[in-house]
Amino acid sequence: MADNQSPSISGLERHRGRPFGRRTLLRGAGVLGASLVASTLSGCDYDDDALTFFFQANPEEADARMRVVDEFQRRHPGIKVRTVRSGGDPMQQIFTFCAGGKCPDVLMVWELTYAGLADRGVLVDLNTILAQDPTYAAELKSDSVPALYDTFEFKGGQYAFPEQWSGNFLYFNKQHFDDANLRPPGSWEDAWSFAEFLDSAEALTKRDASGKVTQWGFVDTWVPYYSASLFGMNNGASWSSPWNDPGRMNFDDDAFIEGVQFYADLANKYRVAPKTADQQSMSTIDLFARGKAAMAMGGHWRYSTLSETAGLDFDVTVLPVGPKGHGSWSNVGTTGLAISASSRRKEAACEFVKFVTGPVGQAVIAESGLFVPALKSAMNSAGFAKAHIRVHNLDVLTGGPARSRHLPVTPAWERVDALMDRNFGPVLRGVQPATSFKTDLAADVDKVLRNQ
Amino acid sequence: MTVREKAPAPTVPPRTGNRSVLARRQATAGRIFVAPNLLAVAVFMLFPLGFSLYMAFHEWDMFTPAKFVGWANFHRLFTGDPLFVIALRNTVAFTIGTTVPTVVISLIVAATLNRKIKGIGVFRTILFLPLAVSTVVMAVVWRFVFDTNNGLLNIMLGWIGIGPVPWLVDPKWAMVSLCLVSIWKSVPFATVILLAAMLGVPEDLYEAAKIDGAGAIRRFFSITVPLIRSALSLVLVISIVNSFQAFDQAYVLTGGHGGPQSATYVFGIMLFQNAFAFGDVGYASALAWVMFAILLVITVLQLRFSRRNSLEQ
Repeated sequence: MADNQSPSISGLERHRGRPFGRRTLLRGAGVLGASLVASTLSGCDYDDDALTFFFQANPEEADARMRVVDEFQRRHPGIKVRTVRSGGDPMQQIFTFCAGGKCPDVLMVWELTYAGLADRGVLVDLNTILAQDPTYAAELKSDSVPALYDTFEFKGGQYAFPEQWSGNFLYFNKQHFDDANLRPPGSWEDAWSFAEFLDSAEALTKRDASGKVTQWGFVDTWVPYYSASLFGMNNGASWSSPWNDPGRMNFDDDAFIEGVQFYADLANKYRVAPKTADQQSMSTIDLFARGKAAMAMGGHWRYSTLSETAGLDFDVTVLPVGPKGHGSWSNVGTTGLAISASSRRKEAACEFVKFVTGPVGQAVIAESGLFVPALKSAMNSAGFAKAHIRVHNLDVLTGGPARSRHLPVTPAWERVDALMDRNFGPVLRGVQPATSFKTDLAADVDKVLRNQ
Repeated sequence: MTVREKAPAPTVPPRTGNRSVLARRQATAGRIFVAPNLLAVAVFMLFPLGFSLYMAFHEWDMFTPAKFVGWANFHRLFTGDPLFVIALRNTVAFTIGTTVPTVVISLIVAATLNRKIKGIGVFRTILFLPLAVSTVVMAVVWRFVFDTNNGLLNIMLGWIGIGPVPWLVDPKWAMVSLCLVSIWKSVPFATVILLAAMLGVPEDLYEAAKIDGAGAIRRFFSITVPLIRSALSLVLVISIVNSFQAFDQAYVLTGGHGGPQSATYVFGIMLFQNAFAFGDVGYASALAWVMFAILLVITVLQLRFSRRNSLEQ
């Protein structure tokens, strides 16, 4: 009996003898852990009344964006806006958010990729908003640039309203051009040819005694295989037929191939542009910002960075036209604002989208210099001109949206993009001619479009 | 002895009762302690496994309801997707290019560190440091090292008269670069396992071999290698599995698309791209199960081979 009792008695004594027993400690730890988990989970839950707005921006752009958001909140004190900034790949982030049931109310969407979201039912058809507010609808339609507005129309629905034009043009270093006694065109109507552009780029490429390039004639700050396609477009070819929900891409078009080959030759044959290896240690935008390149292809999203670069005197000009081209064209680069179909704050989201894409919000955007606004009234406003006081060829920006051609709008874009990335690689590296598109890329892409 | 051993059972029945109470309590406590882990295994391993198997037979874009398609995803994978063949070829090349050098280098390094020299602990610590570095951080640093014009590696090669190598730009060199980074990351772990096994080899065997006139290399191949066979087998299996599932280093090192020109397009990249860029979760799940099946076959074959070898010995 003594043996039997001793463990429990001694245990009891130990328990009584210590103010903080083992079990108490474990229970306490358990409660603490559970409360920590609970508080962490509740900390992740942003289930308040704030309207969530998802967008991508570099730090300079984000500041200007917040000015628009602040102005909206000042005019709509009842609607609180919480911004969600995108990481490196916004589409993957939107997929993850929305598939996980945490889709932001208002989404910034891109012309090339929004169709994938619209096709899956992630976005609201904004025609419902337009039907409820015919006055707003009429104003928006009359003040919009058709190319930008129509880009977000897919299978009969309007899935976003454009908020900016982000098509491509050329930035040029005024000092370098003056030194070479050259003058690029000042408007889309006064375009230069591939040959004139190449002559200028060759004159602007400088080498040291060892032959190492110290100043490039041309650099590309966009996605190389998109830029190459834009050269194809400026040689008279369109990317796809038709541009909206296309049945085929025109990668095997002779004019397209010729334009792409010219772009590839700039780096590989004429050596006026850096090859991929030359861009590893310094990005192309840094090359231009530091005066190591005379021309840079890009959109207005580069403007904030370049305008804040000390000692850089730059202006803008248009893209060159190929021998088969009919005038200089940019691309319908645009982002729009869309509303998530799962949003529980659709009314507030609607107010926000109408504000940012409407005359007031667009005027704020114009004055901020953040974007080239999508509405004609804001684009041609004094505020926009004032925000771009350093730009002499302002027509390149204000006339850009109307001189833009559509990029393909298809839900299969991500797959097409992967194929382009793969097949343009050897052409842009100079390992294969662009005519190789006829045998591989064109057939593969058409297969993807057929099977979507 | 017999009486003393048997005596307590009939004379002290309550003790048995208390024992069972205590045993039950201990068992309950044990279950409570194990429960969180079991729960985690169920939620984060068993459920995703079962779910991905279910999804492998469906077409699902994460938003619209899943549609049962039978074996269509597998059929498309084997007959309709040229990228599967590219990914398989790259993954096999990467696995061989990583596993073989990892095992060889780890053996040499472990044998070098398996010495009683003053300050050997410092060398061991330095060698194991890569284990503590995040793969993404490591890959970012290696990108700078592999820079064609200004990278450390090409600068060093320049000192011995070798011209700049396009490490991450040329498709052939991109795969070599990826293998180099993975080897650098894998060697420390493999060395730890092999060194631990080498430390367990009885010293008297080496002394006996020495007396018989065996040299260092002979002792290594005739004593060390056979006695660490099970550790070597473990290292081999882990290296193959890790290489086959490689994703993060390839994603960061070559830009996330398996470039340039699909040269580093391995299964991990293909799976991620299909699931999160194309939103084709069913197809990605089918690919994941194909990867699992391939790994299972390799592992079983490898284990059988090593078991047969040990029996023959």
